[in-house]
Amino acid sequence: MAEEKKRRAVATKTAAGIPKFVRGNLSATLKAKEEGKKVAKAFIHDGHDEIMRAMDIVPAWGESFSGVCAAKRDAEKFLQKAESDNFSRSLCTYATCHIGFEMAREEQGGAMPEGAPWGGMGRPDMILGNGQLLCDPRFKWPQALQHYLRDVPVFVTNMYYPPWDPNVDHHEQEKFYVKYCTEELHETVKFCEKVTGKKMDWDRLAAVVDLSDKTWDLFVDTYDLRKAIPTPMDTGDAMNTMVPITFNIGTQEAYDFYVELNNELKEKIAQGIGVADPEKYRLIWAAGLPSWFALNDFQYFNGKGAVFPVEVTYRDHEKIERLDLPKTNDPLERIAWRWVRYWTHWYDAARKIPGSTPKVARIIEYFEDYKCDGVVFHSAFSCRSWHAGIIHQAEVLRKVYKDIPILIMEGDIVDISSYNEADTHNRIDAFIETLEAYRNKQKN
Amino acid sequence: MTGSQNSKGLEKADRYYKQYGERAKELKKEGRKIIGYMSALTPVEILTAAGVAPIRLKGFMDEAVTKGDAYMESIICPFVRSAFDAAVKGRFGFMDGMVLPHQCDSIDRTNEVWSSNLNLPYWHFLNVPHVTGGPSIEFMKEILRVFIGTLEKFLGTKITDTAIAQAIKAHNENRRLMRELYILRKQNPPLISGVEMMKVLVAAMSLPVDESSALIKSVTEEVKKRPAPADGNRKRIMIIGDQIDHIAIPEAIENAGAWLVVDDLSIGVKVYWPEVDETTDPLQGIAERYLRKLKIPTTFVGEGDTYEENLEARFGHLKQRIAEFKVDGAILFIYKYCDPYGFEVPAVKSYIESGGTPVLYLEDEYSTSTLARVKTRIEAFLEMIA
Repeated sequence: MAEEKKRRAVATKTAAGIPKFVRGNLSATLKAKEEGKKVAKAFIHDGHDEIMRAMDIVPAWGESFSGVCAAKRDAEKFLQKAESDNFSRSLCTYATCHIGFEMAREEQGGAMPEGAPWGGMGRPDMILGNGQLLCDPRFKWPQALQHYLRDVPVFVTNMYYPPWDPNVDHHEQEKFYVKYCTEELHETVKFCEKVTGKKMDWDRLAAVVDLSDKTWDLFVDTYDLRKAIPTPMDTGDAMNTMVPITFNIGTQEAYDFYVELNNELKEKIAQGIGVADPEKYRLIWAAGLPSWFALNDFQYFNGKGAVFPVEVTYRDHEKIERLDLPKTNDPLERIAWRWVRYWTHWYDAARKIPGSTPKVARIIEYFEDYKCDGVVFHSAFSCRSWHAGIIHQAEVLRKVYKDIPILIMEGDIVDISSYNEADTHNRIDAFIETLEAYRNKQKN
Repeated sequence: MTGSQNSKGLEKADRYYKQYGERAKELKKEGRKIIGYMSALTPVEILTAAGVAPIRLKGFMDEAVTKGDAYMESIICPFVRSAFDAAVKGRFGFMDGMVLPHQCDSIDRTNEVWSSNLNLPYWHFLNVPHVTGGPSIEFMKEILRVFIGTLEKFLGTKITDTAIAQAIKAHNENRRLMRELYILRKQNPPLISGVEMMKVLVAAMSLPVDESSALIKSVTEEVKKRPAPADGNRKRIMIIGDQIDHIAIPEAIENAGAWLVVDDLSIGVKVYWPEVDETTDPLQGIAERYLRKLKIPTTFVGEGDTYEENLEARFGHLKQRIAEFKVDGAILFIYKYCDPYGFEVPAVKSYIESGGTPVLYLEDEYSTSTLARVKTRIEAFLEMIA
């Protein structure tokens, strides 16, 4: 067992309850068999959450498992296992860590590999993948995993949205994109019915989708409380509080979690309690998955008086009203519209800023609304899907805000070999100096 | 290999290879619109039907990425970085526009980096699906219609079904001609070397389809006429990968004492074997070819009832090529940071090896500067299978 980093202190009490959620999700996969439920290796943000919840399929989240291995600084043995069968270290380390774990388990005849975090994760009965406009591993990881779990059926769908093109009106394309997504989701249901031997309860699915909508709204309302000065919660916490909406959407537990968080943030605001005391600089975490083995770096920022009241990462939800979703009686079409509009609703804003893109339009909106002073990106070397294009986003921001302080950190999500704490802290120190200089310049 | 210096077709291929884009420049001067594109997934039939001259972008393995690094992350596929670097340096300055098809993250996640830095009059991102079921075919036809609409708007002309049908015929003929040339490699020794073939493949993708066909035809005629090489006692190698478009790789193989006799590359067999069916609605045939017939790892294949059935559907063609071309060993040449190909390595390697053909897996940059290590491993592989 590798050295486990001292657990990160959290600013909110509610966030301290997150490990229970994560353990609960892992443990549900282990108990599924005795409860007569099927386990699906699945991906977040694929549109499959509500289908699984409505059919009592237990999701096994590979990204979460690998993230936990990374946070415990104990992923190396699984990364090496995958590497031993020629999976390159430059591939997505969420995937290679999880594949290495499954390879080890299969080699041991199904016995849980020693040191698997928090009891490990259950063997899947099916694998659900998804081709998207992002993330090749969402369909290559299932295929690669099946090489070792040959009896486990794989089903891959496509969930596309109209690509950004400043010269093409996306509104005209939305309908056929939604039609396509809806058809793909119906195919997913058929596959799940085949594997589980149970029919979809469409009323139950509709109720789960309604609950998800409510949770989206509550989540955004709750996160908007972080606009307060000083901010009562920063991204260090958000990398934990994203768990219910990311991995447990469509459940009452997820909704209840945000009720509790909402109440706590309101209390903190009423008492004027902030993450940093004093709060000197407000930053946006503008893109990039975090280094799960180095979440303490957020506290390092906090120690310098820098807080992150807002982040793009894992804030993959929006107020439902803002998405202006057309009415439909098909809950899958509802999911499809929500999915497509979630991406395209930034397009009109982007068109208003010459040279901008939807990603940048979103950063600008948050930057303004949350009264930020600087921008931080994280570039993870093994993940192209969230980390390609960061340089371009930074360049566009510089065109809009001129000499705005921007820091691009480099590392990985799981592979700690890419990380050097001293270098990272030195870069943060230099960035803080830049923020101070920028502020002084603004005053003058 | 003898006689290549004086052979007209091979000489032309050599020139177009060395001065990539030379013909596009000439056509531009003659008033043709030049549209660049990336990847095997761009439906060139549509570009041909539109009357533009398509040219597939290549990288430059013997040039360091310099200017491109200011705009694009180093975690991107090194081939894409090289092609982008060449583009921002003005190597493809003759282009009026570009098409980027949705192949992989390295392409689609950099769409905005390309479009904003090149700032061409025409730009289109073609959102090709990763899956191939009925809904995906219908969706593919929709996005082809959008693509056609943007081209029509840019060019100010209508692209008719008749023109598309004619372009389909022309490209199918082009593919048939290239397959005829490949057949000359089945002999032992092959009548055309891997190095020469690489030049032909690269030259062909820089030309309008009729000129490309003429070039291939003339190369085939010349190669048939010249004396066969004497050295037939060499191992016969197949190379598998995406866009390998520099002679340094076939040279590394053939200078080590083997013949490169066939490939499964995205500028080679992958694009020249599958044809477009001549369907009543031409978009139906195009959608089916690009989604269901092209064997590239970014298209998910999984309709089989078992994993083994899916392996056959994904890689069965490799075993066919190995048998047809009497391959002694396969080299899997994958670029670093390539998730689509990288995640397939254990499956494809074990699949080929299960048929008794040894496989060398190499992961490398897109650069001649790192090839010394690769050459050593190729030499060791050839010794091993000797």
